[in-house]
Amino acid sequence: MQTAARPAANAPHRLAGRAADLLIDAPTVSPAHTNQDVFQLFDHHPALSGLPVIEDGRPIGLINRNIFMDSFARPFHREVYSHKSCIAFMDKSPLVVEAATPLQELSFRAVEHGGKTLTDGFIVTADGDYTGMGTGIDLVRAISELQAERNRQVMESIAYASVIQRSFLRPSREALQKLLPDHLLLWEPRDTVGGDAFYFTPRGAGFVATLFDCTGHGVPGAFMTLIMASFIENALIAEPDCSLTALLGRVNRGVKRALGQIDHSHADESESQERSDDGMDGGFLAWEPATRTLRYAGARTPLLLLRPGAAEVEQIDGDRAGVGYAGTPLEQAWTEQALTLEPGTLVCVASDGLYDQPGGPKRIAFGRKRLYALLLEHRAAPLPQLRQALVAAYGDWQGEEPRRDDLSVLAFRI
Amino acid sequence: MQALYIPASNETPEIHFDYASHQLAIRGESYPENAMSFYAPVRASLQSYLEAGHGGAPIRVEIALRYFNSASTKLIRALVAMLNATAVAGRKVILDWHHDAEDDMMIEFGQDLSEEHNAIEFHAVAQAEACAA
Repeated sequence: MQTAARPAANAPHRLAGRAADLLIDAPTVSPAHTNQDVFQLFDHHPALSGLPVIEDGRPIGLINRNIFMDSFARPFHREVYSHKSCIAFMDKSPLVVEAATPLQELSFRAVEHGGKTLTDGFIVTADGDYTGMGTGIDLVRAISELQAERNRQVMESIAYASVIQRSFLRPSREALQKLLPDHLLLWEPRDTVGGDAFYFTPRGAGFVATLFDCTGHGVPGAFMTLIMASFIENALIAEPDCSLTALLGRVNRGVKRALGQIDHSHADESESQERSDDGMDGGFLAWEPATRTLRYAGARTPLLLLRPGAAEVEQIDGDRAGVGYAGTPLEQAWTEQALTLEPGTLVCVASDGLYDQPGGPKRIAFGRKRLYALLLEHRAAPLPQLRQALVAAYGDWQGEEPRRDDLSVLAFRI
Repeated sequence: MQALYIPASNETPEIHFDYASHQLAIRGESYPENAMSFYAPVRASLQSYLEAGHGGAPIRVEIALRYFNSASTKLIRALVAMLNATAVAGRKVILDWHHDAEDDMMIEFGQDLSEEHNAIEFHAVAQAEACAA
């Protein structure tokens, strides 16, 4: 009977863990040992759940404590089997892995092997020679640690990405605060970072504002917001008189070229899976105070107006084409609409994360009606109050449903 | 041709394309992280079914979705576009668009679909109660 060596002191780091890291001190037996020997071993080592059987240095099986003890306890078994070879009750096909097997792979193999690996443990070899054994509970523990550590690293990385995304939105927030103190800006990425973003910049005596929703959420969505913002900024420089049709056209062409989303119709199935088809929906606004003109161009995003004295919210639909997508033509032209606004008009744009969130007693979308009712109800109130009401109504509606998408809303009174 | 059946998950809908009876159903919710990888095999399967022709037997499609994200929207539109192309070529395609009677977003999306793909015989099916969870 031998006792396997402890793992070397310079065992690889846990994150890159291998089967060798899980070796425990465990006695072994050979076919020359009798069931009586095995019985005594289990008796002396109460924590021992499995006993490897080694022949000429190679593992040939594993004796499970419970199975062995149950069998041995049966009437006459002790008398019949005591002096026979211990291979009588061994499992001839335990899980055997090489010492270098990564923990992740080991866990998959343990699962494939069935539940017995978790109770009996597994045998570790080096070039086929027995080096020791590991227990199921240690494997589960190591995998849990591994996952927790990976999760922590990913979450830390996303938390920092969020710092970057928020910093990058800050100048717009500040400009908005300065120019339109009575405003509402709700920006809630579903997964810490997200695909919704906004851009606000003074222009002449007025401003240009956009609220946009890029494909995806989380990290890929956040990547897209950076790409989009850089195209929007460049387009604003290139279009000093700020035609929104020209602006959106530029962004569309820029994104399609940059991401190679010119035409996918000839791509075969496998290739098209690899290729991106990403873009954005959004609302673009330009305000000129001298003429009280708000120009609007929307990509699958409606503009909402509540004029003073109006009985209803006015919904101004944008165009149906999204910006940048493979299916949007390179020369797509978005319609710019010019609206003259009476002082005190409430203006609102929201991403589909607001409208589409399921909830309520029937688990259906929040929809437009609920937003319109809130706008009407709080039409005279300062916008922070509308914000409070909206957050509460949306939260109530969502209830126990998971958040489905990023959420953003921009509203102001002008 | 073998039916295509994919059970629903939290983020993906149930797909039940029973080609033998020419009944195709999509039910549930659709917001997978990678919509393309979920819909590519669905699209490929539908493509080979439509190409086989089946003597022009009428196709009945049921779409009963409670929620889909924008990436799924594009891919669902693409499936409907394929069906529309088949309808344009002369095969009868009926689409039952199930929505809750009060779900204005689903009603609106259905209307959009029917206007864009008008070769399909479109029925909006309003349900007083939401589809079973």
